Amino acid sequence: MRPSSSSVATLLAVAFALLFASGCVMVRPEEREYLADPAMTFGSEGIAGEHEDHVLTNREGTAGAGAVVGGGCGCN
Amino acid sequence: MRALASLTAVLLLAAPARADTAEIDAYSTLFYEFGGPLEMLVVTPQARVRVDPADEVSLTAGYEADIVSGASVAVVDAPSADVDVITSATRLEDVRNVVNGGLTVRSPFGSLRGTYAYGFESDYQSHSFSLGARSEVFERNTTFDLSYARGFDLVCNLAQPRAQEAVERRRLDVSEGCFDGDNPDREATDISLQTFQGSWTQAWAPIFVTQVTLTAQLIDGFQSNPYRAVWLGRTAAQENHPRNRFRYAGSLSARLWLEPLSGAINARFRAYRDNWDVRSVTADVGYEQVIDGAIRVRARFRYYRQGAAAFYSDDYALAPRGQYFTGDRELSDMESFLAGLSFVWTLTPGAEGTELGPLRSFRLVLKADYVHHQFPGFRYVRAAIPNNNSIFATLGLELVF
Repeated sequence: MRPSSSSVATLLAVAFALLFASGCVMVRPEEREYLADPAMTFGSEGIAGEHEDHVLTNREGTAGAGAVVGGGCGCN
Repeated sequence: MRALASLTAVLLLAAPARADTAEIDAYSTLFYEFGGPLEMLVVTPQARVRVDPADEVSLTAGYEADIVSGASVAVVDAPSADVDVITSATRLEDVRNVVNGGLTVRSPFGSLRGTYAYGFESDYQSHSFSLGARSEVFERNTTFDLSYARGFDLVCNLAQPRAQEAVERRRLDVSEGCFDGDNPDREATDISLQTFQGSWTQAWAPIFVTQVTLTAQLIDGFQSNPYRAVWLGRTAAQENHPRNRFRYAGSLSARLWLEPLSGAINARFRAYRDNWDVRSVTADVGYEQVIDGAIRVRARFRYYRQGAAAFYSDDYALAPRGQYFTGDRELSDMESFLAGLSFVWTLTPGAEGTELGPLRSFRLVLKADYVHHQFPGFRYVRAAIPNNNSIFATLGLELVF
């Protein structure tokens, strides 16, 4: 099913509204203690997370689709 | 390993004495797949060095390997009276090596980065480049990240006439002779990969942050498994996938800090589709508990469900699906359930009188996951589907100087 032009326009409008609203959100530097914690940081799993992505990329048909490096693996 | 040692030495020597930070990470992951008569074991050691020769610049170099041993089904859907897919499975032993390097330049407004990786194994080679840019705006409450990656891969195959019909193509039986220019029975076929990714990370409150990520990937080239054949009724032929694949995915992630518990809930939802008509959804939830600031324990669950490719059939002799055919169970309907635990212990000097010598911090990472796969639309005639359970365990050490 192809998305209609009106649904695409609605999605874009929602995205721009959210983006505009985000400019009004001000978390002050002194309030960033929890946001700076690794538990609140996307990608903080580091190498352990990369290994998991690598395994799942080779075991599921749609995992990955990101900047996966190296291909191969030979483990199909 | 010698190349990595040389690269590491060069990086460490290149760092001026006033370098703010140097970091050495050493990780190893064990992946064991079981359940049924076939097994697969992959051990992945990895080392990465990062130095910051200036406040604004980071250099990284790394090495990793996949040491693979196991067995793989050679002919899918062959009638069990003629060929037992399990006992006729081919043993495989292989080592995939990857060396990589990267450069990141930072400014008060964001950062630029570039990476390169070279991967090689007996039957596969790859060169990958990536460029990325990150920008932080609105007092660092909003972060945009854009990246582009380009891959130039080569996969070994049996040399066969280009005009030959797909149903007459034979599979590659062994990797010996691959990338040997003098072997007329082998050819290297190319795969081109392009990946675009953009993300928007937004802090909405001092305890709540979200991230939206959109990814698109174009793959052009030989995407079948050269070792696998599919039974087509009268004969078995090397599996035949389309040469082009356009994949796109979107995900929404959120993290919420729970102040009374000193921990954070995280959740992620991802939707995917491609032009082979494979679709999937993934839901991931977890909770991370911080204990005394030094210990972190995380539990998580992940559910994944995908639909089959348009050309997938569990029996091409009776129900063919056009010109393409595959024996890849990862292109059939499938589900997977993952449960995992991780433990991170970070030690810094001064914490309860700890002395670490030249180290600024020491981190120990332990992680274990269990995954169960279900393939309701896939079967090896009468044989049970092997390898539908797996565990992977990671041990990591991170030293910051």
